[in-house]
Amino acid sequence: MIFRKGRVLRATFGCNPNSSSLGVDVTFLLFGAIFASALALMLGALLRRPRTP
Amino acid sequence: MKLEVVRARAERFGGIVEVARPRALLHVDREMMRELGQPHSPLWDSAAPDDAPLVAPTEVHVVLSRRCAAGCTGCYVDATPAGAALSLEEARRILDELAAMGVFHVALGGGEALELDYLFEVAAHARAVGITPNLTTSGLGLGAREAERCRVFGQINVSVDGVGEGYRRARGFDGFAHAERALRLLRAVKEEVGVNCVVSRSSFDGLTDVARLVRRLRLNELELLRFKPVGRGARLGEELTPDQGRRIYPLARRLMLRHRIRVKLDCSFAPMVFWHRPSARAAAFWGVQGCVAGDVLAAVAPEGHLTGCSFAGPPEADARVPGAARAAWSQGFASFRSFVRSAPEPCASCEYLRLCRGGCRAVAEAHGAFSAPDPGCPRVQEWTARTAGRGQVAGGGSFALPVVRG
Repeated sequence: MIFRKGRVLRATFGCNPNSSSLGVDVTFLLFGAIFASALALMLGALLRRPRTP
Repeated sequence: MKLEVVRARAERFGGIVEVARPRALLHVDREMMRELGQPHSPLWDSAAPDDAPLVAPTEVHVVLSRRCAAGCTGCYVDATPAGAALSLEEARRILDELAAMGVFHVALGGGEALELDYLFEVAAHARAVGITPNLTTSGLGLGAREAERCRVFGQINVSVDGVGEGYRRARGFDGFAHAERALRLLRAVKEEVGVNCVVSRSSFDGLTDVARLVRRLRLNELELLRFKPVGRGARLGEELTPDQGRRIYPLARRLMLRHRIRVKLDCSFAPMVFWHRPSARAAAFWGVQGCVAGDVLAAVAPEGHLTGCSFAGPPEADARVPGAARAAWSQGFASFRSFVRSAPEPCASCEYLRLCRGGCRAVAEAHGAFSAPDPGCPRVQEWTARTAGRGQVAGGGSFALPVVRG
């Protein structure tokens, strides 16, 4: 049986105090799809990581 | 390092989890929700439709009042010194309902929210029910004591539409010194402090000065907000020119790199960004979207009206009535949610349609047709010029020619 690991599909950082929501974080959009895919894997790993005592 | 999940809610595709450090909302699939120990949701028993809205907004803009003494010439909510306001009890009830729906963040604003003597009680109540309160303020009247109390908020942005004389020209009064003082006081007590800058035709050339200010005061973000012709702003003729619309995204990147600051563009700028053809996959991952009203976002007006966005859309419910917001969310907001399915040209053939969603509904409505493509979109402007040149009728009669001035 193949165990499929869960994935992070989207990430938005920070909070938005404005009436017009979210929008475009230019800082992150500068990096392309490969960076986004790599970050998704990293965030997934950090979410799964067991809590250290 | 482990990312600690502080809140999570199920969605059809899986769920949304909130982590505190770094502060983020992560959309994850069903497998990840299970791995994180989240309980099974009935939402996962059927296939997730691609275009289904979220089960609740992630963020709600609560316009606490239309009360403000500043009298800015372009105020979106037409605020006056005696404008309407939600009472403390009403605000608390609304926050209770939003928390029960699973809303993560509220953006508190006005009017000038700091003029309400119960603002901090509203923010404390939001925290108590698990919602992160964020604030937009002009900073007028903010002293050291108020700044200290602002620790209760998540992100606080101070409105600075220009530096020095640029501020006066944009807002109609000389308030820059007050805004800068407020930024310094806030920055002394917390890190999540930034600037909101409305980008209009006349403030466009002053953006570099604002970016320098953000850098100098070590603020955590510069958020550029597109000028919208609503409220008192409808009379100003300050929408960006087509040339400025094309230049805003490259300019934002330049400001970010040159001044080493975080720069954000609000959702109404999405068409101007997608015209430059960024990676659609990256944009989807970073949540870069056009109109997210009635999906990611909702708004509550001081009169209690629940709308998709604080700039546009019909009232869907009276948010002060228990249960009304939740009921409206599951069935309402058709005017926003139906755009992608029924988009006219040139949106219908645009590869970014599902991300851009036709740009800003508030701007489209201000130009005469809520469901028309955003007339500030460069692609729309090019398409209109082409079809007009061929003597064709644009958009089957439902789409008025752009009225972007300039």
